[in-house]
Amino acid sequence: MTGPGQMAASGSAPAITLEGVSKWYGNVVAVNDVSFEIGPGITGLLGPNGAGKSTILHMMGGLLRASAGAVSVLGEPAAGNPEVYRKVGIVLEREAVYGTLTGWDFVRMNARLHGLPDVDAATRRAIDLVDMGYAQGRATGGYSKGMKQRIKIAAAIVHDPQMLILDEPFNGADPRQRLHMIDMLRAMAGEGRTIVFSSHILEEMERLGDRVLVIVSGRLAASGDFRAIRRLMVDRPHTFRIVSSGNRRLAQALVGDEAVTSVELDGDRLTVQTRDYSRFITVVPRIARDSGVTLRELAPSDESLESVFEYLVAGVRGGQGGDS
Amino acid sequence: MIGVIVGVTLRQVGRQRRMLVLLVLALVPVLISILYRFTADNSSERDAIEFASGMLATFVVPIVLPLAALLVGTSALGQDIEEGTIAYLLAKPLARWKVVVAKMLSAWLLTYLVTLVAVLGSGLIVLTGHEGISLVPAFVVACAAGALAYVAIFIALSLRFSRALIIGLGYVFVWEAIISQFIAGVRFLSIRAYTVGIADALTDVDAEILTRSLDVTPAIVLLVLLVALGGWYATRAVTRFQISERV
Repeated sequence: MTGPGQMAASGSAPAITLEGVSKWYGNVVAVNDVSFEIGPGITGLLGPNGAGKSTILHMMGGLLRASAGAVSVLGEPAAGNPEVYRKVGIVLEREAVYGTLTGWDFVRMNARLHGLPDVDAATRRAIDLVDMGYAQGRATGGYSKGMKQRIKIAAAIVHDPQMLILDEPFNGADPRQRLHMIDMLRAMAGEGRTIVFSSHILEEMERLGDRVLVIVSGRLAASGDFRAIRRLMVDRPHTFRIVSSGNRRLAQALVGDEAVTSVELDGDRLTVQTRDYSRFITVVPRIARDSGVTLRELAPSDESLESVFEYLVAGVRGGQGGDS
Repeated sequence: MIGVIVGVTLRQVGRQRRMLVLLVLALVPVLISILYRFTADNSSERDAIEFASGMLATFVVPIVLPLAALLVGTSALGQDIEEGTIAYLLAKPLARWKVVVAKMLSAWLLTYLVTLVAVLGSGLIVLTGHEGISLVPAFVVACAAGALAYVAIFIALSLRFSRALIIGLGYVFVWEAIISQFIAGVRFLSIRAYTVGIADALTDVDAEILTRSLDVTPAIVLLVLLVALGGWYATRAVTRFQISERV
C-alpha cells in the first residue's frame, strides 16, 4: 500500500493533487489542511454527512476556491481555469436539471456547450451509456431522483472526459441502476480514466472504491485500499448491549473470556466491549447457556458509521490508523 | 455557445408565471388606448399626440419597461444560481463573458418583447392616421436601448445582492420615478431619462413630456457606459462565482 495520502499509481503522474488544502466559511472550517494525490482508476471519498467530502470534490472540480493550499487537476490549477473542463466531467449532488428540457435536449445542450464536433453522436453515446434511451424524449422535470442522477451523469460524460468527479452518485438509484452505474464507472476506470466519487455508505465504497480516502471533520482520517480500511473498521473495539435473565451472573462469566476487554453492569444494563467481534458473537450464547442465563437481547451499541469514523480518527491521532 | 445559452434561458425564464404577469401589465396601456380611441373619436391631432406621448413616457417607459427588465433580469442568472443549474454553464470550457452576454441577450429579448407589445399596441391604436405616428418608431428604438441598460444593471445587481429585486424596485420607483423627476440635475443617473431622451431625438413630434429628459448625446454615452459597466461587473462576478453545497 502507498503511504498516507499517496494514492497515485506508481510510475504515473497524479491526476489530482491537493497540497495543504483548507476551506473555511467565516469561522467555520469545512476542510482542514488536507493533502493527497489521486491517480487513474476509481477512488472513493468516504465519510459521514457534513465531513467535507463535497467541499473537497467541489474544489477538485474547480467550482470552489481553496482558502489555503493548492488544488491541481491533470497538472493544471483546478479553479478559475475553464479549459480544464475539456478533460473533466462533474456530477454534483443537487438534483438540479433544466426541467423543461427533455433528457435528450439536456444532454445535447451540454454537448453543444462543449463545442463537440458531432453533437448528436456524442449525445446518443452518453445516453446509451447510462441506459436512459427509453426516457430521453421526456422532460427531465418529471424524472425520478435516480433518473435525474443518470441523466446528469450522461451530461457530465458527453465529452468523453479523462476524469469524472461524482458527488454521492448513487443517491436515489435503485439496486439495478446502481449495479449498472458501477459497471459503467468500472469500465471507464478500466480505460485509464480517473474516477473520484463520494459516499457515506460503506457498501457502495466496498463495491466501487478500490482506493478509499476517509474524510472526517474536514480532515483526511485514513487512506488506502478498501480492504485495509475495512480491516481497521472490523478490528476496532465493538461495544454490545446485553439484556438477559441474569445480568450479574452473565457479567461474571463473560469477564473470564479472552474476547472480552471490559464489562460494565449498570442496573439492568450490561455493556460489554470486545476486540474480537467474530469470537465474541459465537461465545456469548454458549457462556449464557453454561451459566443458566436466558439471553433476551444482544445488540451492538456503536455501529453507526459516525462511531466507526470517530474510531478511525482517534486511531490516526494515536498513530495506529491510516495506512498499515 | 451563446445561442445555446440564450435558447435554454428563453425556455427557462419565458415559462415562468412572471412572464404572464408582465404580458398582462403590457396589455394595460393597450386597453387604455382602445378606450381612448373609442371614446374620444373627435379628438384633435394635439390631443392624440399628448395622450400617446403621455402613455409611452409615463406608463410604458417608467413602469412596463423597468418592471419587465427587473423581473427578467434578476432571474436570467438568478434562477440558475438558485436552482443550481449554473454548474452546467460554469463547468464548461467557456469564456465567462460569453455566459454573461448570453444571459443579457436573453433578458433583453424577453424584456423588449413585453415592452414592444405595450409600445406598438398603445402607439398604433392612438396614432394611426395621425401625424404623430412617428412617435411609435422612436419609442420602439428607444425602448430597445433602454431595455439593454436596465437588464445589464439588474443582472449585475442579481449577482451582487440576494435582495436584488427590492433594490431594483427602489431604483425604479423611488430614484427614477420621484427623485430624478424633481431634481433635474440627477437625471444623468436615470435610464428612464436616457430612454425618453433618445425617443425625443428620433421624432419631430413636439410633446411637453418628452422634453423632461436628457439630451440625446449624453443619454447615449451614459447608456453605453452603463451597459459596459453592468457587463463588466457581471463577468467579474461570474468568473469569481463559487458553487458549494452550502447554498
